[in-house]
Amino acid sequence: MWQTNLKVLAVVLGTVAVFTIVSSSIPQLQSVVPEDLSFSGDVTAEELVAAGQALFEGAGGCADCHGLGTRAPNLLTDEAGTGQIGVRCARRVTGQDCKAYLFNSLVDPNALQVEGYIPIMADMSRTLSSEQLWALVAFLQSQGGEVTVTGADIESEGGVESAGAAQPAAVTAAGPTSTSSDPVEIMTANACLGCHVMDGTGAPIGPSFDGIGGRVSADYIRQSILDPRAGASEGYEAFIQLMPATFGEQLSAAQLEAVVQFLADRR
Amino acid sequence: MSERLPSGARRWPLWLGGIGLVTLLTLVSPDGILAQEISRSYRDFPLIGSRTAIWIAAEVHLLFAAFVLGVPMFAVVAEAIGIFGKDRKYDKLAKEFTRLLLVAYSATAIWGAILSFLLVTLYPRLWVYLTQIFAPSMWAYAGLFFLESFTLYLYYYGWDRWAEGRAKLMHWGLGIMLNVFGTTVMFIANSWLTFMMSPPADVTPDTSPAMVQFWSAFANATWMPINIHRIIANVVFGGAIVGAYAAYRFLIAETDEERAHYDWMGYVGNLIAIGALIVLPFAGYYLGREIYEYSPGMGQTLMGGFMSWLWIIQAFLIGVLFLTGNYYLWVGMGRIPGAERFMPYTKYMLIVLVVGVIVWATPHTMIASRAEIAAMGGTYHPFLGVLGVMSAKNTAVNIMILTTFLSFLLYRRANKEPVVEWARTGTMIQGVLFVVCAGIVIFYGIYGYFVTAIVRIGFSVYQVLAVIATIFSVVAIDVAIGRGAKSRGAIRWGQMPERSQYALFILAVTFTWLMGLMGYARSGIRQHWHVWEVVRDTSEYASTPALGYASQIISVCVLIFFGLVAFIFWVGGLAEKPVLSGVGSEGGD
Repeated sequence: MWQTNLKVLAVVLGTVAVFTIVSSSIPQLQSVVPEDLSFSGDVTAEELVAAGQALFEGAGGCADCHGLGTRAPNLLTDEAGTGQIGVRCARRVTGQDCKAYLFNSLVDPNALQVEGYIPIMADMSRTLSSEQLWALVAFLQSQGGEVTVTGADIESEGGVESAGAAQPAAVTAAGPTSTSSDPVEIMTANACLGCHVMDGTGAPIGPSFDGIGGRVSADYIRQSILDPRAGASEGYEAFIQLMPATFGEQLSAAQLEAVVQFLADRR
Repeated sequence: MSERLPSGARRWPLWLGGIGLVTLLTLVSPDGILAQEISRSYRDFPLIGSRTAIWIAAEVHLLFAAFVLGVPMFAVVAEAIGIFGKDRKYDKLAKEFTRLLLVAYSATAIWGAILSFLLVTLYPRLWVYLTQIFAPSMWAYAGLFFLESFTLYLYYYGWDRWAEGRAKLMHWGLGIMLNVFGTTVMFIANSWLTFMMSPPADVTPDTSPAMVQFWSAFANATWMPINIHRIIANVVFGGAIVGAYAAYRFLIAETDEERAHYDWMGYVGNLIAIGALIVLPFAGYYLGREIYEYSPGMGQTLMGGFMSWLWIIQAFLIGVLFLTGNYYLWVGMGRIPGAERFMPYTKYMLIVLVVGVIVWATPHTMIASRAEIAAMGGTYHPFLGVLGVMSAKNTAVNIMILTTFLSFLLYRRANKEPVVEWARTGTMIQGVLFVVCAGIVIFYGIYGYFVTAIVRIGFSVYQVLAVIATIFSVVAIDVAIGRGAKSRGAIRWGQMPERSQYALFILAVTFTWLMGLMGYARSGIRQHWHVWEVVRDTSEYASTPALGYASQIISVCVLIFFGLVAFIFWVGGLAEKPVLSGVGSEGGD
């Protein structure tokens, strides 16, 4: 009898152990609590973007659908050739600039439903504070566009920290487009390092900028920026759809040439 | 032989639980509590923390509750078969089911009281909030709990006294009432927890709980889906635990008669568990759809957010259930004369099941960083991505259900030799139905790759309907074919290898672990909200832990549950001997 008892115990413990080990071996994802945010009136764009990025990739849960998947519009790279969110946001609704569009998309998403997607997004003002909403707007603007959110926007909303406190904004300020002629600033403003590595910074989704001038010609670089679908570098075919095809409209001719020459010189 | 328990010792914990609950409700009634200043929202629990303490208490209570709610359902059905089919062995089986129920009931009450006390001491603010809305239903809960207890005592202790004629029918009526009271108690408790998941849309953080309309909070969006899901799951769980109990008694049996009885009991328990399991995914689909309808964000968290990998573990567990359940049936065919003609087919069914499990357990949604996406070569894995989509998974699970049903059909047919003239034609029609069904399932599985997501979702309905229609049609034909069939020999109950009984243990443990996992999913999707988007969890335990930690807690709960079950069944066995059904001497199918 005791032998039977031991066998039964071994079967029960063994089964439980297998399930525990398997469950502990898969990617461990934890749902974290959104951090309460508090900004002063002179908060910088960098502070807002950093806070927004942490929310987007973490507790806000935005990346679950708006990452590189297919459930909702892509907010990290290009969306069907219309450019990054920081660029296309100003063109989405007539009469709403980028900042207004992004904020309203967060608090009244069904009214601004993007064609081709089903209305699955909730009013984020039910779960996020005004500061958190504006931080997200700043992060999204930074994806290829200019960050125009300021402390004044938050103060005008009251900065109330409670669910359900934020109201749809009537923001109208237009963000100035980048006029810099510095290639690094241009690339930073357009989030090129979101997908390309340069000097140890960036993500290796597209070809590295390190030594790119030694691998391809200036004409090839120009062609790749203006019409990325024309051909992908070897090994990056799977990501070709992620490269925005809108830089020809976003950049001035001088800015384009500054970037092309800068990259061509990196041998 | 008298089967009255020797003393009231086994009853006192039940009364303790009931009295404790009523006392608790009185002490913390809204007016009483609100008259005091509650200075703290939370208290901590030593060593393990308040979240883990509540988690373990709730989980173990739920496991016992599921058992004592599931078993009466098939006990009363077994008794009805005994009465109306005039087959005494089913009546004896029903009584033994109920005997298990009696000893498990006390543990349910004790853990319910532990849960209540922990909730009121560790989460007083939430408790007060809930009592302000649900106090009347809590009083009703306590009253029904007493009614359920008395009915159970009458049902069990009156079994031999009311054994014939109208008195027997009245006794069967008690069994029905036991189910009615128990199910109502569960429905009430479900309203509290589903309110926390899906409060009415007009309830906001600024809404005073005193202003929340009782019925809209009670009958909230996920209440009925959870009710239905839990009823079926309780039957599955009860069947599995009964199977494990029978397996243990089989292993320690000293006579052939005992072995035959417990072999049969284990078979019935397993049949109930696997049979109800096949229906359970449809209830789960209904619940999932209602969650999406209520809050798409919550639905995304559940299926595509931080819990997305949970479904891989679920697929793994259900894969274990399918494989083990079929293994038990195949081994069981060894004790059926005539089953040897079907045995060669089992290896092909095994291959189908293994492939199905592999496809079903293929991960799809990867919440990956840019670097991880780069390493994978795309947003989906280049190979696994093809199998990880719903088209492939739905196809796999439907084929697995169909295969398991085929196993059961072969088991059922094994010792029968049909005598109806159209038997061969009928069997061919059954075969055609299987092939057509598999064709429909595979067709929509492949077609799903070429349509948009919204169209693809609809295909799963066609696949499920094809499987259900096939199961019903084939069973109807089989019953007709089996009329007056000759027997190739009686089933040799008791002549089962020991390894088959250990399979029943694996099934019971897996079902229990799966319940713990799904409990974590249901509760975890609220994330850092006590009541979704209404009452925020501001404690230090507000975050929802990852699956690794959750698996450890689930395992602890499962081991506590089985440890206690083993103890109370052992205690129950000390006092009395079960009445054997005599199935070994009668033969039977």
